[in-house]
Amino acid sequence: MSADKLNYAQVNRDVMRPLFNPTAAWWGGIGLVSIGFVIGLYCLGMQLVWGLGVAGYHPPVFWGVYITTFVFWVGIGHAGTLISAILFLTRSRWRTGIYRAAEAMTIFAVMTAALFPGIHVGRMWQAYWLFPYPNQRQLWQNFKSPLMWDVFAVSTYFTVSTVFFLIGLVPDIAAVRDNTRGLTKKLYGAMSLGWRGTDRQWRHYMAAYGFFAALATPLVLSVHSVVSWDFAMADTPGWHSTLFPPYFVAGAIFSGCAMVITLMLPLTKLFKLEAYIHTWHFEHLAKLCMFTGGILTFAYGTEYFVAWYSDNMYEWGIFVDRVVGKYWWVFAMMVACNCVIPLLWWFKKVRTSFVGLFVVSIIINIGMWFERFNIIASSLAHSFDPGSWVYYTPNHIEIGILIFSFAWFFLWFLLFVKIMPSVAIAEVKETLRPPLRHDEEAAAK
Amino acid sequence: MQGLNRRDFLKVGAVATTATAAACTYDYKVPQEHVLPYVVNPENVQPGLASYYATACHGCASACGVVARNKDGRVVGVEGNPDHPLAASLCARGHFDLYAAYSPDRVAGPTDGRTALSWADADKKVADAVAAARAAGKAVAWLGAYRSGTVDALLGELVAGGLRRVHWEPMGVDALLAAARQAYGVDELPVYELGGAHTIVTFGHDFLNTAFGAMAMARGWAQAKDPARGEFVARMVSFEARLGSSSSQADHWFAAAPGSEARVAFALARLCAEAKGYTGPAAALLGAVDVAGAAAAAGLDEARLKQVAGWLAAGPSVVLPGGPSTEGADATALAVATLLCNEVLGNVGHSVVFGRGARPGQVNSYADVKALVDDAAAGKVGVLILDGLDLVHLAPGDLAVADALGKCDLVVQLANEPNDSSGDKTLLLPVGSGFEHWSDARVEAGVAVLGQPAMIPLKDSRGLGDFVLGLVKSNPAPAPAAVEGAVPDAAPVVTTASLAAAAATFGDLVKARWAAVYKPADADLATWWVEVQAKGVFAVSLPVASVVWQAATLPEVGAGLAAGEKALVLFAGHLHDGRWANVPWAQELPDPISTYFWNTWVEVNPKTAESLGLAEKDLVKLTTDTGTVEVGWFGSPAVREGTFALVAGNGKQVGKYAKGRGANAMKLLASSTDASGSLATGGLKVVATRVSGNSGVHALCGNLDQDGRPIAVAVNVDDAVKNLHGEAASIVPLHHIPIDERVTAAGSVDMFPEPQHPTYRFALTIDNNACNGCGACQIACAMENNTPFVGPDQLQKGRTMVWIRMDRFFEGEGENPDIRYLPALCQQCSHAPCEGVCPVLATYHNLDGLNAMIYNRCVGTRYCANNCPYAARRFNYHTWQWPESYHLMLNPDLSTREMGVMEKCTFCVQRTRAAKDLYRDVAFGEREPGRPVNMSQNTVPDEALRKLTACAAACPTDAITFGNWNDEKSTVRAIGESPRAYTLLGELNTKPGVRYVARINHNAPANAGHHGGGHHEAPAGGHDAGGHGAPAGDHGTHPAAPAAEPAHGAEHKEG
Repeated sequence: MSADKLNYAQVNRDVMRPLFNPTAAWWGGIGLVSIGFVIGLYCLGMQLVWGLGVAGYHPPVFWGVYITTFVFWVGIGHAGTLISAILFLTRSRWRTGIYRAAEAMTIFAVMTAALFPGIHVGRMWQAYWLFPYPNQRQLWQNFKSPLMWDVFAVSTYFTVSTVFFLIGLVPDIAAVRDNTRGLTKKLYGAMSLGWRGTDRQWRHYMAAYGFFAALATPLVLSVHSVVSWDFAMADTPGWHSTLFPPYFVAGAIFSGCAMVITLMLPLTKLFKLEAYIHTWHFEHLAKLCMFTGGILTFAYGTEYFVAWYSDNMYEWGIFVDRVVGKYWWVFAMMVACNCVIPLLWWFKKVRTSFVGLFVVSIIINIGMWFERFNIIASSLAHSFDPGSWVYYTPNHIEIGILIFSFAWFFLWFLLFVKIMPSVAIAEVKETLRPPLRHDEEAAAK
Repeated sequence: MQGLNRRDFLKVGAVATTATAAACTYDYKVPQEHVLPYVVNPENVQPGLASYYATACHGCASACGVVARNKDGRVVGVEGNPDHPLAASLCARGHFDLYAAYSPDRVAGPTDGRTALSWADADKKVADAVAAARAAGKAVAWLGAYRSGTVDALLGELVAGGLRRVHWEPMGVDALLAAARQAYGVDELPVYELGGAHTIVTFGHDFLNTAFGAMAMARGWAQAKDPARGEFVARMVSFEARLGSSSSQADHWFAAAPGSEARVAFALARLCAEAKGYTGPAAALLGAVDVAGAAAAAGLDEARLKQVAGWLAAGPSVVLPGGPSTEGADATALAVATLLCNEVLGNVGHSVVFGRGARPGQVNSYADVKALVDDAAAGKVGVLILDGLDLVHLAPGDLAVADALGKCDLVVQLANEPNDSSGDKTLLLPVGSGFEHWSDARVEAGVAVLGQPAMIPLKDSRGLGDFVLGLVKSNPAPAPAAVEGAVPDAAPVVTTASLAAAAATFGDLVKARWAAVYKPADADLATWWVEVQAKGVFAVSLPVASVVWQAATLPEVGAGLAAGEKALVLFAGHLHDGRWANVPWAQELPDPISTYFWNTWVEVNPKTAESLGLAEKDLVKLTTDTGTVEVGWFGSPAVREGTFALVAGNGKQVGKYAKGRGANAMKLLASSTDASGSLATGGLKVVATRVSGNSGVHALCGNLDQDGRPIAVAVNVDDAVKNLHGEAASIVPLHHIPIDERVTAAGSVDMFPEPQHPTYRFALTIDNNACNGCGACQIACAMENNTPFVGPDQLQKGRTMVWIRMDRFFEGEGENPDIRYLPALCQQCSHAPCEGVCPVLATYHNLDGLNAMIYNRCVGTRYCANNCPYAARRFNYHTWQWPESYHLMLNPDLSTREMGVMEKCTFCVQRTRAAKDLYRDVAFGEREPGRPVNMSQNTVPDEALRKLTACAAACPTDAITFGNWNDEKSTVRAIGESPRAYTLLGELNTKPGVRYVARINHNAPANAGHHGGGHHEAPAGGHDAGGHGAPAGDHGTHPAAPAAEPAHGAEHKEG
């Protein structure tokens, strides 16, 4: 169906179809997610009862899969706000079809990431001690610690993204409200905050939306910079680098955009949204990946140059070890998935084909997980004192909890596509010709 | 409601409410305990204050003194007895002795097979069996480990009554004793005084660990290596196929082929005699020695042998005998040869002393054991009493001990827990631990150790001495024997037999016998006994008798292994001969060389491994004529090519912690003995093949060498001696991260101000030159700080909880082994990377300079551990368990830690706190910024701090010193500011409270004459330079002066 033939009613019908008629694929997805949940809850339970020892930690690698996965999901959570806020401010037209799902992805990714500090700490029942709250014991936090900065960066980002997301949803939820009855109508009605679509409401709405877009924009850059400081502020060779903030932000956008492609491609196919999300959208995302991937490859090279140029034997030691040491396979995965394979997108044929986009985007996400593992685990395993060098590999509990994180993320995402319009109805309508004018123009011709 | 008035209602209600509340609040994790006061307070017991008892260590025959620390009724710690003239500290195994006393496997009382019986029944059973054996004309035999002192004397009485007595240990002193008899006609062991030796040559003697009298030798060795003592550093040369913990400190390593060591030693004796111009009584024997043949057989260069002889002849020296790995078919000949070396060098009477009567009681050879076992197999032994020997485990593969034991009418086993030798019919009599019963031991004629009980027995046990006394009383000897080992000023007017008859208990007997043997005639018994009990040792120096070489011929030496044959040598690890296999902390203590644990492994040269095609996880199948084992392997550059060095001790069938661990190395041995009947544990023929599989061995030390990094640093010997008195501020070649001059000029190297340490800045120095990785500090730390064992599976993941990690680096090659150890612990940095990153302030800097740790505040982010460059922090991955009855030896001065929290070395904060309290530290309370610290008032004096921490107290070589850095006259400051001292990774500007003292290397022989300009050819320089492309020796020629280097200079300004 071409865009010319779309009208407002058709947009409503197409976008809201999954809300009323989830397909078998959706139920299949829920089934898979449930399996992942069961596996994950078993692993979490084991860890809660017996302690972190059930995971594969091998001191001095005190941070492993959990922090890797935390950083991975925080990274994923970057594309949504980038697309919705920055591209809104720069008035990029191609954001329209994809920003809603990307934003939802962001929020769920941050929610997934937020689980991990809790899963990771030794006494998860005391994890709330990381928050500064008034207490009778006069305990206070150490604001020198990058982990505290992290707590604030991630929670701020989550709050702002969620508010931004919910505000963007208001006109669309109102549209859903108008198509429902009974209790459902009441719930959507409450969420739509009394939206009636008056001019006055639109004027205030657009001002608020612009304000939140401006507020969210610096956060896109700050969150992952702060996360990178968890590493950059530490003295561990392989972590202690001023390059980390831009390098992490580029990597986050790289993986986030790849994740948007991974999610949106099947969504478009399954719910027949091709009229709204075109290959053209994916190509733009792919180009964004190519750009940030280039930055990332350059950053990898810069890291090596700096390590060599610094004449610091510890720093150079870990960078050599990543290539030739026991973790060579992690490094190889990282370079292959993040630097080499995405080069395929330089061919237009690849970046415009369903398979080419889908496969490479998944590979990029695998590669970005390995990049974080490469940074975190290999550095700790090859620190200053050769007597403390170890080789850590994750065990089944950690893999189970990694699977759980995906199950958790996809559960939210599946619920989202069932409950909320995954394409911004109001914004799509903006791009269409208004219904009456359409007829007039046709008549004029 | 009838019958229930208001009062009853309230009563019932109150009870019900309380019961409900109690039921709801009951925490299943915490067992309910009752704290009850004493009804009658025992004398001198103050709750919360420890009592100290001087007693004896029964870990081996060396009989070191122990100070046992009794807290609230249980011994919770041990330290060496500083009053002991020979051994003032305890080795790692001495600490295992206390763990063994609390073993969960200990039987509740006498046990017949599996059924418990009373002591009266047990006594009757033994008496009946002895009577029956006598009647049947069968022997009553005693087979056990070495026993000295009063037990030895009592057993002597029983021999007169017909007891057949055999004392043997598989890695014992029988060969050396036989050699002393042959060479000098004396029935005692030589005492090696290493302290003044400029050259120490060893043929595999485990003189720093398991050898008889090791603690005294360890102290002497450390003195010989300390340039501050005599402006020399002993050069150590080792002739053996495998370097162990003791010989790993050798400067020169000549890997003599296994089986050729005796010939090499004779050749060395001849070369020494030539170099020294020896003309004494043994001179005539040397003509027959074939130097070239010996060198060829050993695969050594004759010229190098001559060089070693030259070093030996040039100054005071000592030649040490063989050890388990070199004592093969020529064990006695090797011992004779080493004595001959000392004879021709004139060391006898100086560094090798006879006449002190050093001997661990009666010593038998393996031949006597075999004869007894053969007799038992033939049904000639009625009652066999096994004391302290797990004979079934220790017997060579071709000795059918289990059958022989089955043929005895009664096997009495004197042990606290069942072991491999405990059959269904064995009468197991628990003799308790040395901490529970009276004992004594005689080290030398003039040195004896009193073993007084330090706590009430945990189980229904009867001391070994009481058991033997009971035997003596029920079997009176026909003729009295003289009291053995009397000192001249105490004439033996009484006999052991008469004393025994008068003594009600063994404790009484010990007192009576000590009074008879050791008490000066004019001393009042009561006063003297109190003094002896307080000191725990008796020591007089006796005049040293001079001895004359007597052997008229040299012993025959075998041909050794044929070319191409693979050699097997056994060595003793932390488990010694297997006696500590059921102590989980012993299993867990990583081996100094391989850093393996909880297993049996074989050390092979990497080239041998390559030729066998061994992959990392493969097993090696070792086959001899008598047995086969399959074990994991360690590629050690300190093993000769073609030699397989197998660790003894594991492979037991019985024991909660010993069972199923590794393989039994002893089963590869045959009953082959040398000329004197000593069991051959070295130079055996073996066939080795590769078996693929998962060996399950794992090294705790991550890398073979230190990858060119200055972690365990070494300096040249001439530099060390020349710069003794501060000619250069530092001679340690260190790496420095380049810092921009503008940064230092602006004074912004430190982002945060220096922490204030108004009174104390606790500090520790570790002298790497005196460290042989023995592990005593690690186990002492574990005992003091309630550090749990984690088990083999957890340890495979490196989750050791011991706060001291022993790094081991192979830095040299071939003949210059240069094996370095580095005990790595929390460095208590002033600018600690761990403190800044903890989000909840669970770790912070305190006024004493410690990185204090609040366990209860810790959430477990583990950020601190990541950020520690020294990897010194330990995380509680689980809530570790102290199985019954290990929990009784928990140190009540500090808590245990639960799952999910971080811990690390605290510089024994409970001890420093106690010491500060003791010296009424008012300066701490009245601290004001800028107020000068009055070091003379109320602060803990240096003498009280020097050995305060558990590690410092334990170190057998005094390598660890503790103190207050603020005290400018403290020992720790003097050591820490010496030219050889350095801070580990000091370039990171962490400002550690721990300082290491660099190891001293002798140059490779080829460069021996060229040390005028401090030129380095030692691996230290080469490796260090390797990291950043500077020419070798660069650091050596320009000793880095820390004061001139901004980053480094800042380290010395603190306090």
